[in-house]
This record gives sequence, structure tokens and C-alpha cells, in this order.
Amino acid sequence: MIELIEVSKSFNVGKVNQFDAVNRVSCSIHPGQVTILKGPSGSGKTTLLTLVGCMARPSSGRIMLGGIGAQALSGMDPGTPLEITSLPERYLTGIRRSAFGFIFQQFNLVRGVSVLENVMLPSYPTGESQVAVRARALELLELFNITRHAASQVGLLSGGEMQRVAIARALINNPSVIIADEPTAHLDSRLSREFMEIIATFKARGKTVLIASHDPIVFDSPLADQIIEMRDGAVTSDRYAA
Amino acid sequence: MKRSIERHRNILDFALSSLLRRKGKNLSLLAVYTLIVFIIASIVFFTQALKREAGLVLQDAPDLVVQRMVAGRHDPIPVAYADKIAAIRGVSEVKPRFWGYYYDAVTGANFTLVACDDPAPAAESIFIGSGVARTCRLSEGDFLPLKDLKGAPALFAVQKIFPSDSELVAADLIQLKGDDFRRLFDFPQGRATDLAVSARNQNELKTIAAKIVHEFPDTRPILKSEMLRTYDAVFDWRSGMVIVVLAVAVLSFIIFAWDKATGLSAEEKKEIGILKSIGWETSDVLLLKSWEGIIISLTAYLCGVSLAYLHVFFFSASLFERALKGWSVLYPEFKLTPVVDPYLLCVLFLLTVGPYVVATVVPSWLAATVDPDAAMRS
Amino acid sequence: MIMHPGILALLTGSLFTSLMILYAGWYGVLILRRWDLASGSELQLSLEKRTYLVSTLLSYALAFELVSLFLFIFTADRLHLLFTGAMCAAGTLNANGFGYPLLILKIVNFLLAGTWLIVNHADNQGYDYPLIKFKYTLLVPLVPLALLELLYLFGYFSGLHADIITSCCGSLFSLERPGIAGDLASLPSAPMRLAFYGAMAATLLSGAFSFFKGKGYYLFSAISSLSFCIALASLISFICLYIYELPTHHCPFCILQKEYGYIGYPMYAALLGGGLAGLGTGILAPFEGRGSMVRIIPALQRRLTGTTLVLYAIFTLIASYKMVFSSFKLGD
Repeated sequence: MIELIEVSKSFNVGKVNQFDAVNRVSCSIHPGQVTILKGPSGSGKTTLLTLVGCMARPSSGRIMLGGIGAQALSGMDPGTPLEITSLPERYLTGIRRSAFGFIFQQFNLVRGVSVLENVMLPSYPTGESQVAVRARALELLELFNITRHAASQVGLLSGGEMQRVAIARALINNPSVIIADEPTAHLDSRLSREFMEIIATFKARGKTVLIASHDPIVFDSPLADQIIEMRDGAVTSDRYAA
Repeated sequence: MKRSIERHRNILDFALSSLLRRKGKNLSLLAVYTLIVFIIASIVFFTQALKREAGLVLQDAPDLVVQRMVAGRHDPIPVAYADKIAAIRGVSEVKPRFWGYYYDAVTGANFTLVACDDPAPAAESIFIGSGVARTCRLSEGDFLPLKDLKGAPALFAVQKIFPSDSELVAADLIQLKGDDFRRLFDFPQGRATDLAVSARNQNELKTIAAKIVHEFPDTRPILKSEMLRTYDAVFDWRSGMVIVVLAVAVLSFIIFAWDKATGLSAEEKKEIGILKSIGWETSDVLLLKSWEGIIISLTAYLCGVSLAYLHVFFFSASLFERALKGWSVLYPEFKLTPVVDPYLLCVLFLLTVGPYVVATVVPSWLAATVDPDAAMRS
Repeated sequence: MIMHPGILALLTGSLFTSLMILYAGWYGVLILRRWDLASGSELQLSLEKRTYLVSTLLSYALAFELVSLFLFIFTADRLHLLFTGAMCAAGTLNANGFGYPLLILKIVNFLLAGTWLIVNHADNQGYDYPLIKFKYTLLVPLVPLALLELLYLFGYFSGLHADIITSCCGSLFSLERPGIAGDLASLPSAPMRLAFYGAMAATLLSGAFSFFKGKGYYLFSAISSLSFCIALASLISFICLYIYELPTHHCPFCILQKEYGYIGYPMYAALLGGGLAGLGTGILAPFEGRGSMVRIIPALQRRLTGTTLVLYAIFTLIASYKMVFSSFKLGD
């Protein structure tokens, strides 16, 4: 269970152009379920994703992570939820690397590097044996039917193929939470539906999924368990899908 | 431990591929860096080699040379002093030396003339050094016209040319018979240019010198050790001066390196943002940037030092000869003996890699502390 | 000033290092005053980022201090020819009043910077930066000491004037100037031998106790630091005599030369490393109970203790080996 308690995030505090991206948001994300963040662009969805995914620290408020295996990292009791609000960057990154997998709107693959290496990149700093990681990466490529592109440069792939590489990369460290930011923005309907099928497999495996999207194929999907609507940095509705 | 090594290896791999991905920028940086290392290393190697050569040359110099001074100027010393000096306890040998300089108006060169009777050239014949032979275009059997003190011509037959191995000591040397020497310079009878004194025990030299000065207050003894020291200091001073002047070049290089390091292209910034967003910490990105810097520094250092080594020891430092040797007409042509000195290599490392490291610390850190969430917004 | 490339390298290196330490110190003060881990404000985030820069700068400073320590001695050795009566580095250092204080200052700065890095390493393992205030307070004395070192370095080298022939009319000056004593004051050898082996034994005992029992680190740290000083004094007093096989040669620098198999390097490296690690155990001791450090510091202290014991053992072994197998016997 990921809990957000009165979380706010502001940029350029104290200056003329102060911007409150997220304003006193409280919500819970349940493990093993698919949660959708719905709202127009500028509503704070992306910022909220970065806060949940341990990519940034909130300006105020608290975030508690429970049930996602994060405690093992700091040697704390796995039963109690871990508060990540004041953890230094080093620990946040460690938690993020092992517990979260990100799929970005723009895919964010490194140009000039092969597909296989792109998938293996998140594991470089962990010092894990490259032999084991390589095997896992190839398995993932196999899973998403892109093994034939293993040695290709990312610039040569189509949109759908690039997204599958991005998904493979997100899974390389076997995370328990998948976070996706507008995943279907650059995809046509067929590929968008294929994406949702992949999400179904994640759910079947017990992973927690958090997707920010304003695409009906996503938020109207039968897979969605919880839909949180946002506008201007605040939550306007938080309901469970039937 | 193993994790740590593996981590370094992975990041090093990525650093290498990252550098290769931006060939243009990195090659230009590498070229300038190598050039700076090359120049500084050449200077250091060259002076070091010259110092060594000078040391070797002075090895055969007499332990103590006694000259006579009149009104602060050098004057031929009476040979009679030699007997008194030889009587000083500890002195093994005193040899009067006859030598001087001759300025040749035709070539503009200064020759060193030495009168030595063992082995002596024939009457009115000379042994010459290869430098003289080159400058005056002489071979054995040719004639060299000299002028004596009164302006009258004196013709000498070239009997022998010293082998080129002796270039360093004998390049400008002309050896003639004692009588010819005295005739040419109208040298006063019973005088010598100076006296070469040898002692049985090196430690006694200072005491002997003190006694000589006490006995003959008009003389000036010069110890070999003092000459060695002075040569050393002069060479060091020369190379140091050049390096200080080069400080300007090094400063420009620092600014250049700083600029390259801070001027991250949009592509590079994006790449770092991506790395941070997929789970690389600031310290990992810092390590990446450090490895990149190390690769460039080491490559430039090794290439620059190797090139300088070749330049100085195989091409006789042709680029700097003029500035470092001084001016003259007659130069010995000699190959410097290659010498690799770990101390100098370390000094070079500090002088060249040090400034680069300092210049890139802050830019690397700035690059590494990019916020990961910025990557999500691009 | 003598324009030797080695001198230039030392001066520029020291200048850069002082700048880096000054920069680190400046931000250190800022961090001391405004650090608040619980706040997610932008100032706090930027301070956290700044700590990475400070660590990097100090790592480079430490590396430079270590290299320059040896380079300094080597340069002094190379320069000895320029001074009458100077037989090696010891003579050059005696050439003016700055020489030996500078050497001591360099060793102190090396130990200080090394200790800081040990504390930094411990702090980084904890998830709540528990040692941050202490760390940056420790940085405060390092700044003036680094600047002092730069001043002394400059003073020393600009005060060096080679004994060279400067006047064409001058007569023998070596007689006019007294030679520089290259000999170092040294302590009598028999009591020193006792002190040396006694100190090493005490270090071994207290180290083993701390290693297995996990306490008594203050005592161990004090003993190991004392042993460090005694070992240095012993080196000068009698150990080097066996290496040189001469009863009067007390120079601590000649053992770094090729003639003696560069034996000085492993000895000094072992002694400095061991001394630093021993110091580290003591510095960390007050923080054993603090927050996340409960799990981290004891393990680190154990490792450091082990390091000190091993390195001191290496030093003692080398010294003893030389004493037993040298063809020179000290007659008492």
C-alpha cells in the first residue's frame, strides 16, 4: 500500500514564478491493483508520479511505502510502512531501482546505444554480474518479441517496438510497481490495446500498476481498479471502478 | 568488493562508449590536451638529458682548477706556482694547462684552442673537432688559415679530425703543439692558462683549495662540484622559465577544458536525465564523468609523453633547440641519451593532469546533479 | 626561487588543492547552518547535492596530499646537490626554517583529510546522514591548515637559494659558508628498541581485544596513534641504521632510494595507512549509538582495526627482517 498524506510539491518557492504542481493531495494506491491517474495536461499527474516513484521529494506532506519490498533495503521491519519523505537521494534511488519500473511518455531510450544495452542500463550501478543481467534482458526481449532487434540502434525501431524496449527496460530489475506516464500518447489504437494486454499480464503476476493517462482506451479499460481524477494539482475524485 | 569492481567496470564501459559517441568534441579536446602534455614533457625531458650530458662531460674535468685573477680579470698563471701547490699535503698531481679561445671572423665561430703534447700534432699541424670541420668545410689534408696576435697569417695543416662520438666535448676543439700555441697567441713564457690539480682524497679538496688561496692570494680555485651545481641550477632555471611562460598556455587549456565540460549538448543533458530517471544515482553519474575524464587524461598523458620522448631522443628536440640551447654558430650535433625517470613522469603527471582534473570537477558535478524528474518533462 | 619543474608542480598542485579545500569549507559552513533533513525545501535539496561536490573535492585533496608528500621528499632529495654539505633530502629540508615544519604539516593534513573521508564513508552508509554536523565541523580546521601549508610551501621554496657560483670574481665560497648538517637528532637506540617493540605489542593486544570484543576502541586508537609516533622515531633512531649498515646515518629519506631497494615505500605506506586507520576507529567511536550508525560503525571499526593490525605487522616485519639479516650489528 502506497499512501500519500497531504503531499504538496512546489517549484521556484518564494520567487515570482512559484508554481504549485501538486497541492495537498491525499490518496492510497493498493498493491496488486491497476490505478489510473486521469486528468488534463498540467493537472499535476506527472509530478505525482515522480513523487510516488521516489524520483523527487515533496515540499511538504508524507509518503509511506508498504508492501512493496522497500523495507528490506534499509534493514527495517518489513511489516511497517517506510516513510520516504526525508530519505536522502541515495536511498530513494536504491528503492526506486529495485521496487519501481518506469515507462516514460517519450520512451527515453539512450540514442547511440543498442537495444540490449538499453535494457541492461538500469543494472549497471548495482554491480550485479552482467552475465546474469544479460540473460534476463534477453528473456525479456523474447517475451516482447523483439529479440531480433537486440543489437540494433534504437533510432531504427518503430514506435511500438520502442515502447516494448522501454517496457523491457522497466522490468529488468524485477520491480513490484510499474509506473507509466501517458504510455499510449504516441501509439495508434491497435498498439494501445496491445499495451493494455501487456498491463493485464503484469496484473496477473501480482504487480502494482500506476498509469497517468487521458486516453479512454486506458481509463475505460476493464483492467482499471481505481481511478483518481486530478485538476490543477488537486484530486477531484477518487473512485473504485466496478 | 566484487560488486564494487563490477560496478566500476560497467560504468567504465559506458563511459568509453559515451566518449566514442561524441567523437568530434572529444577528439578536439584530446588533441589540444596531448599537445600541451607534449610541449611540457619535451621541455622537461630535454633539460634532463642536457643535465645528464653535462654531468657526464664534467666527470673527466679536473677536481680543482686554479686560475689567477688580476683586477678581477683572468690572467695567465705563473707555472712556478705549480711546484708550491704540488707540495701541499694531499695533492697528487698538478698540471699546467694551455688553452684559449680564438674568434674566426670568416665563419663567426669561436674555437677552443688547446696545446697538448701528448700525443702532439706535427709542427704547424692541428687536430680538429668535427664541428670545426663542418663549419669550415675541412677534411684531412686541408689547410686552416688563422691570424696571430699581430695580424700575420698562420697556416695550419689539418692532420686529424676527432671522431664524431666526441662531439659533445670536442666539437669546437683545435689541438696544436705547445710551441705553435705560444707563437699564435704571443703567450708569455713561464705562464699557463690555469693549473689542473688532482687530489688523492676528494674530501681534502676544500682544505687544499683553502691552502692555495692562503699561499697565493691572487688565485681563484674552482671546484668541480661547484661547477656541477651551477650547471644543474642553470638548466633547471631555464626549463623552469619556459614552463612558467607556458603557464599561459596551460591556463588557456584549463579554460578550454572547463568550457568543454560545462558545454553539455542538449543530447548529453538528456542522456544524463535518462540515466538518473532509470535508477542511476548522482554518485554513479559522477563516477561516469570521472571515468570519462580519466580516460581522456590518461590517453593524452601517455600519447603526449611518448611523442615527447620520440621528439627529444630521436629527433633531438628539433622544435625547441634554439630556445633552450642558447645562441651560437658552432653546435655539436649529438644524440641525447634516452633516459626514463619515474620522478619526472610523476611531476609531468601533476603538471598536466592536475589542472585538467581541477577544471572539470565542478562541471562534472553540475552535470551529475541534474534532477531525474526533469527527464520526465522533456 | 629555484625554477625546478618539481617545485612548480608542487606549488601549482598545492594551490589548486587549497582552492578546493577552501571551496569545500565554505559550503561546509553553509551546510552546518542550514541543514534540515526533514524539510523538502529547495535549499535542502541543493545542500544535499552540494555534499557530493564536497566529498569529491576532499577525495582529490587527500589523493594530492599523499602524492605530494612523497613528491616533496623526492624533490628535496633531487635538490640536495645545490647545497653544500647536503647529502640528501634531509639536508635540503634543513636549508631554511620552513622545511621540517612543512613536512610535519603535510603529514598532519594527510591524516586529517583521511580521517574526514573515513567519517564521510560511514555517514554515507546511514540513510539519515547522522554524522553530517560532525563531519563539517571536522572540516573547519582543515581549511586554515591547508592554507598554512601553501604558505609554508611558498616560503620554503622561495627561501631556497642554490649555492652556485654567481660572481665571476668570487673566490671559493664553500669556505665562507658553513655546510648544512644533514644529520637528524635521534634518540638513543637501546631504549627506543624497547619502546618500539613494546608499542607494537600493545597495539596488537588492544587491537585483538577490540576486534573480537567490539569495544575499547578509544584505547586502541590512542595506542595506535602513539605507536605511529614511536615507529617514526624508531625508524630514525635505529631501524634505518640497519638498512644503511652505517652507525651514523640517521636519515629517514634515503631509504626511499634505489640503492636500498626502495624499501622506504612499503614501510611508510604501511605506517601511514595503519596510523590513519587507527585514528579512524577512535574518531568514529563517539557515534556508535547514533541512529542508523548502530549497524554500520561497529563493522567499519572492526575493518579499520584489522587494517591497522595488518599494516603495522607488515612494518614491524620489514623492520625486524632488516635488523636480523643485515650484515650490520648495533653494538649493544
